[in-house]
Order: sequence, then C-alpha cells, then structure tokens
Amino acid sequence: MPDRRDLLAGAALFFGTSLAPPLAKALSQADNPAGFTASHAVFNDGQRALVTAICDRIVPATDTPGAVAAGVPAFIEMMLTDWYSGGDRMDFLAGLTELDGFAMRGYGKVFAALPAQQQDSVLTTAMHGMMQGLASGFFDHCRQMVVLGYYSSEIGCRQERVYLPVPGRYDGAYLYSQVGRVFSS
Amino acid sequence: MANYDFDAIVIGSGISGGWAAKELCEKGLKVLMLDRGRMVEHKKDYITEFKGPWQLPYRGTLPPAEVARDYFLAKWGGAANTDRNHFYNNDRLNPFDYEGSTPFRWVRPNQVGGKSLIWGRVSLRWSPIDFEANRKDGYGVPWPISYDELAPWYSYVEKFAGIAGGREGLAQLPDGEFQPPHAMNVAEIWVKERLEKAMPDRKLIHTRCANMTEDKPEQGRFRCQERNQCARGCSFGAYFSTQSSTLPAARKTGNLTLLSDKVVTSLDYDPRTKRITGVRTVDANTNEARIYTSRIVFLCASAMASVQILLNSRLPGSDRSFANSSGTLGCYIMDHAMRTFFWGTVPEGQLDQYVEYGRRPTGVYIPKFRNLNGQDADADFVRGYGMQGGASRPVAAPEGFGASMKEGLRKYGPWTIQFNVFAECLPYKNNTLSLHPAKTDRFGMPLIVFDVGFRHNEERMMVDAARQGEIMMRAAGLVDVGSRQDEHVPGDAIHEMGGACMGDDPKASVVNRWSQAHDADNLFVTDGSHMSSTNCVNPSLTFMALTARAADHAVKLAREHVI
Repeated sequence: MPDRRDLLAGAALFFGTSLAPPLAKALSQADNPAGFTASHAVFNDGQRALVTAICDRIVPATDTPGAVAAGVPAFIEMMLTDWYSGGDRMDFLAGLTELDGFAMRGYGKVFAALPAQQQDSVLTTAMHGMMQGLASGFFDHCRQMVVLGYYSSEIGCRQERVYLPVPGRYDGAYLYSQVGRVFSS
Repeated sequence: MANYDFDAIVIGSGISGGWAAKELCEKGLKVLMLDRGRMVEHKKDYITEFKGPWQLPYRGTLPPAEVARDYFLAKWGGAANTDRNHFYNNDRLNPFDYEGSTPFRWVRPNQVGGKSLIWGRVSLRWSPIDFEANRKDGYGVPWPISYDELAPWYSYVEKFAGIAGGREGLAQLPDGEFQPPHAMNVAEIWVKERLEKAMPDRKLIHTRCANMTEDKPEQGRFRCQERNQCARGCSFGAYFSTQSSTLPAARKTGNLTLLSDKVVTSLDYDPRTKRITGVRTVDANTNEARIYTSRIVFLCASAMASVQILLNSRLPGSDRSFANSSGTLGCYIMDHAMRTFFWGTVPEGQLDQYVEYGRRPTGVYIPKFRNLNGQDADADFVRGYGMQGGASRPVAAPEGFGASMKEGLRKYGPWTIQFNVFAECLPYKNNTLSLHPAKTDRFGMPLIVFDVGFRHNEERMMVDAARQGEIMMRAAGLVDVGSRQDEHVPGDAIHEMGGACMGDDPKASVVNRWSQAHDADNLFVTDGSHMSSTNCVNPSLTFMALTARAADHAVKLAREHVI
C-alpha cells in the first residue's frame, strides 16, 4: 500500500502543478505542524510579555495576521533556550532589561503596558542607537529574530507569503502582478 | 576453482558504487554492495521531504554549538541545515588526523547512496583537450584514454541518468544525450544576449544537470517539480541518485545483496596470484568482523576513503600496501579550487515586472574560455576554470519596523546574477594522503593524514577568474559589479580526487586504462581516486562513465577467464 506521501506526490504529478490548498493542508497535518516549545523556560512572565509586545510592534497584524498570532514569541524563547549559547542568550536578556528600564524611566510603565504609539517611540529610539545602556545591535538582532520567526512560520509562509510545496513547473518570466506578494521558500 | 561468497563485491554505494552494482547485476553477476553508512530507502527515509520551514527543527539551522561539535567539516557541504543534516558524516565520531593534517575540508556522507543524495547534480562531459592536458604540459600522470574512448560511455550513462541540457556545439564542453534544459529566467537571458554580443568568445549556457525535465516511466521516475529541495531526497526520483536510479535497477535483477553499516577496513591480497582474496569488514553497530570473498572487487568507497582502504591493505609481513608498487598510491590528491565569486545587478527599471515562479534546482554556466587553443598570451597559469551561477530576485530589504516594513517585504529587490568559479587543480605528486602510523578510529582503521595545498597556478587562476568575471558583468551592462575571493581550502569543492591515478605505466600509476589495479587483476577502482587530473568541471558524470566502462571490461575478462 502506498504511503500518504506517495498519494499526495502522485496527486501533484497528476495535476501537473502545485498542490491544491486542501491537499497541501492535509500534507502539513501529516507531520505535526503545531510548532514547538522550548525545552525549558528562559523568560519570566514579565520578559515573555515584553517579547510578545515587541513582536506585535515589529510585525503587527494588518490584512494578514502578525507575529504574535504566528507564534513568534514562542519561537524566540525556543531559540534562546535551545539554539543560542550562554553568552548570546545573556546579551539578549540584558537587552530586554534595558529596554524595559527605558520604558519605565520615560513613561512610568513597562514596555508591554504602554500604548502602541509609545511602544513604537521606544523601539525607534532603540533603532537609532539613542538608548543609553542598550548594546548596539540589540534592536537589529531583535528585529532579525522576529522577521525570521514570522516568515518561517506557517502563517508567514502561507498567509503573508505564497507557499508552493510542489511548484510543478518553473517560469522565469512570471508577472509579479499575478502574485502581488513574495513566494516563500 | 575457488568458492566465492559472491561473483563481485562493490565497496561503496554512491554514484560510482551504484553504477558498478547496476552494471554487474545486469550482466548476471551475483553482487554484494557494502556501505559503511546506515540504510536509506527511496521515499520512505526522506524524513524532511514535503516539510515547510515551520516544520523543520530550529526552522532550518542547527544550533552552532552542535555544528561546532559534530559537523565542523560537514558544514561546508550544508550539514548545518536541519533539512539535510541526517545525510552527513559526524566529524567527531569519524575523524581523520586533524592535528597532523594540513587544512582539508573532507565533507562525507554517511548512508547508503553516499553523496548521490546530496550532490550538486551538475553533469558535464570532459573534452578531448582535458584528457590530453597532463601529457601536454607535463603535470601528473598522462591519461591513457582519450575522449573518443569515453564518449560512448558518457552517452550510455546520460541516457539512463537523465541529464537536462542544451546542445551548444562547444569544443571545450561536448554535447551529450540531453533532455530539454531547465529554462533560463528573464535576467539570465538578458545577460546572455548582452554578454555574448559584447564578448563573442564567452558563452552563457544552461547548466547541464541530472534533474530531469522529462519523465522516465520505465524507471518509475518523474520530471523535476522545481522545488529545489533535492538534498532532502526526491520521491519523484527527478534527480539521479543511487536510491532513485541505480539501486532499483540492480535490485530488479534479483542479483543484488546490499549490506549497510559495513565498514571496509582492508582487502586481503595474494601476491602469488596477484588477486584480492577477501574484503575485510567491521559492522558499524556491533563491531563484528567478517571477511567476504568474491571473484571481482569494485572499490568505490569515495576518492579519499578508497585510497585509505588501499593503503591499509598491506602485503603479508609488510607495512607496504599491495597496491603501491608504483610508489604513487596516496599521491596527486586534488580538489577544484573555488570560493571566488563575482556578481552584478540588472539596472533599475529593467525586468521589474517579472519574478520567478517555482524554485529551479539549477542555473547557468559559463564554460571554460582560457587556454583553449594553446596557452593564452595574457594568462600566467595553465589550464582553466568554469563559472556556475544564476540570476534571482531577492526579497526587498526595507528599513524600520511595523506595518510599513511588512508591506515592504512583499516586494522584490532588483534582479542580480552571481557566479562561483570552479578551477582546475593541477596534479602535484607531493599533495598526499597517508595513514597515521599509530592513531586509529573506532573501527581500528588508521587515520588519514592529509598533506595537500593549492599552489601558484590555482591562485593565479582564481585572481584571473575574478578579474574576467567583473569584465564580463560590466560588458553585459550590469551595475554594482563586484567580486570576492574567500579562503579556499582543499576539499571545499567536494570534488576531491586522485590518490590512485590511472596510467599506462605500472611504475607511475595505480590503475590501468580499464580502471583495473596494476597490482591486482581482479580489483577495479572507479571512483574519484583514480582520476589523473581534475579538469574544471564537476566530476560525477565522468565517474559514472568510467565505472560503466570498467564493469563492462571486468565482465568480459571474467567470461574469458582472464580474471
């Protein structure tokens, strides 16, 4: 008896093009796409709330879901716990502390408790390297983590971008106007 | 007549071993194929195939600490990617003598199928001038065979493997038995038209590759689906691998026995009859030792590992290998010089409306153009190089954050084209692979010691390639033209070759014109180790042709009772 992937692969061959969305969805559910959890917690509740708020401002929900809906805070926690080595992890956590300290000094509240406009103002200060005590590169690092986490998530690949698991053909002169987005890898 | 376990034993199951097994099985021999790595079955064991980025461990990249611990060499071949990491050697568990060697990036697979699962699939023929080069300029062992002798075997393996390419009529890169090429994209066509007009001696052509553009239903293989995830394994069988192609053919005969996890440590040799009498193995999981016997042995363990096995196959009562009466076993270790890049950008406003649909697994190629008709007056090196590249449109790189950045990331930047140079490495006798006298690995195999380095000719070629590359990019009308030369370490190209070179003279080479050991009539060495020079093109197609040719000859000799 052919296995599930054979059937799906065969279907793609039969249609000679990309998998239809329901098929593609069946394919993804064949292997657990739910994501992951960090092997152990690295954030306390305050840090988790802060990272969630940063994610929300860097890739907000617009006409597609944003970084929070895509599970990016959990992605960042997993990477810090299981991918980073000690020094890099401590640097990132120290940056979070600086950012929250700046929010508290400037606005009297932790970053996560501020309205969106003030959060953006804090992040802009960090982006321009104007936040005393914050390691240079922290903002870029943070932004990079959110962007990586979002555009490699299922929402990022499938809703924000166009994901072709089995393109079936190559067209090197495809009109951008026909897609209006970026094809996911 | 001796009583053998098998008619033939094939050591290694990569590109060369798979071909040897297929050919020998189809000619009616009972064949045992051994591989040191674990079993990987077609489709079933492609564990990351069809997974989206969100389904891959760490979203695609191994933790740096794990790479540093276990894959510090394999990473140069892609082992840091979690979609393919399971197809690479663990460099901590399977070392060579790291302390005593010159820098060498030996990127190894560790499974049945070998590098055929993770190769770059570029499939280019050598030309007549490449087989004549050693004789003409005096480097290395003169090739005893000509292009014309190998040409029918190129055709034979191309038809089976399925090679996509365009017919160009170039003397330095002979045409083959091609399926239609993968299409160029608009930017590549744009560059090709302008480059070839401005510099008529330069050609920009489709890369010829073992990703099929037509089905092969008789093999259960289908054309490429343009996923560009080949190194995960391909259930469509769209690219040539042992699993997709030669292994099913060998199995179909009913003549194949395949054993994984069998580390071959040495060959037993009878000096009286000049024959291999046994293949010594250690089980990778149980450490159980066992000797297998056969009438014919094909050594295809990968270039460096085959030389290691030969060096460890000693004459009775001696430290000396039976296969080294020439004194050249382990000499002439080579690898293409690479890591020189150049690039350019299509001017703003050109081709802006176009993007790529699908992920093509190949690109474009600029064939060798240096020293084609004798020595170029302005070249301070002999031989030449080829350039592999492709054009693409990276995603735009907006600044800032928030909704505007998200919107900006829905657009593409300009079309860019970039190339990587592959240059011929000359055969130098004192670029060597030897065995450490005391250190062994966990199977008792003496560790390899590399003493290999690039020299002036390779360095001058890379400087020239970067300069020529920039000239071509500007001639084609590209902007933001640049080039870069990174440190290039032998092994990097994963085109390591040599150590058991082919030649007519038994005093100067290890195998003869039939890939047959000068010192053992029933031993054939048909992988990269028996290459007497490297040319500048990707070598696997030539290994296939030489292996099929050697198998045909071996069976003829066996039928005539010569071996």
